[in-house]
Amino acid sequence: MDFIKSIAIAASGMRAQAGRMRIISENIANADSTASAAGADPYRRRIVTFGSELDRELGARLVTLGHIEPDTSAFKTKHEPGNPAADKNGEVKYPNVNPLIEMTDLRDAQRSYEANVNVITSTRRMLQRTLDILKT
Amino acid sequence: MPISDIPILTMLRTRMQWHQERQRVLAENVANADTPNYRARDLAAPDFGHALRTASFNLSRTDAGHFAGNGAADSQFAEDSHHRYEVRPRGNAVSHEDEMLKLAGNQMDYDAVTSLYTHSLALIKTAFGKS
Repeated sequence: MDFIKSIAIAASGMRAQAGRMRIISENIANADSTASAAGADPYRRRIVTFGSELDRELGARLVTLGHIEPDTSAFKTKHEPGNPAADKNGEVKYPNVNPLIEMTDLRDAQRSYEANVNVITSTRRMLQRTLDILKT
Repeated sequence: MPISDIPILTMLRTRMQWHQERQRVLAENVANADTPNYRARDLAAPDFGHALRTASFNLSRTDAGHFAGNGAADSQFAEDSHHRYEVRPRGNAVSHEDEMLKLAGNQMDYDAVTSLYTHSLALIKTAFGKS
């Protein structure tokens, strides 16, 4: 049944977007997580990747959450000599998380999720119309 | 002759299958809206002329042991990727707006086809003399 396939595909998209949301919230939550040892690296921002995967059972290309890669950009540094995480020059490394980018990503994930919900709603309505034929 | 072989019902059923298949393709597009290098796809519109030419041809059975041939089998669906939208740096070319528009159109057309199917069945019921 093709409608079931459509719903399964949209569900895979929702799953992928929910996984992306999880990583984004991790980034936002850790935006100020400095290292516990002096001079060590703080939290490193993580990035999700998406992949398309052919599901042979459904005969459709589902979305999968690929590897979660670390963001290799440089950390921000602040001069805070009194901070326990400061190195011998008094510099503290802060995570390379930019809240503005995370919020934009969050909105993007939300919109994509809503689009998938729309697909399911529309498919359900079509399925309902098919069943309505029986009622006549 | 079974009721489902009545030409109008066969045609409507083919159309419904087409819409189902299109819904699947559109769902794939929306789900893959963030997949790198994914290009949006769509189904080619059904060719009415082709359907007209092949509709009346069926394999004739010369022996009772033969299988009943089904003239127009699968292969009616062709993937069409002529419409290219803007391609993002990630190589992805899915536009949510276009997909939502197509989805709404697909759903409305499907509603129209199911209504026609219902009405055709009502016509047959009238012929049976049951209102």
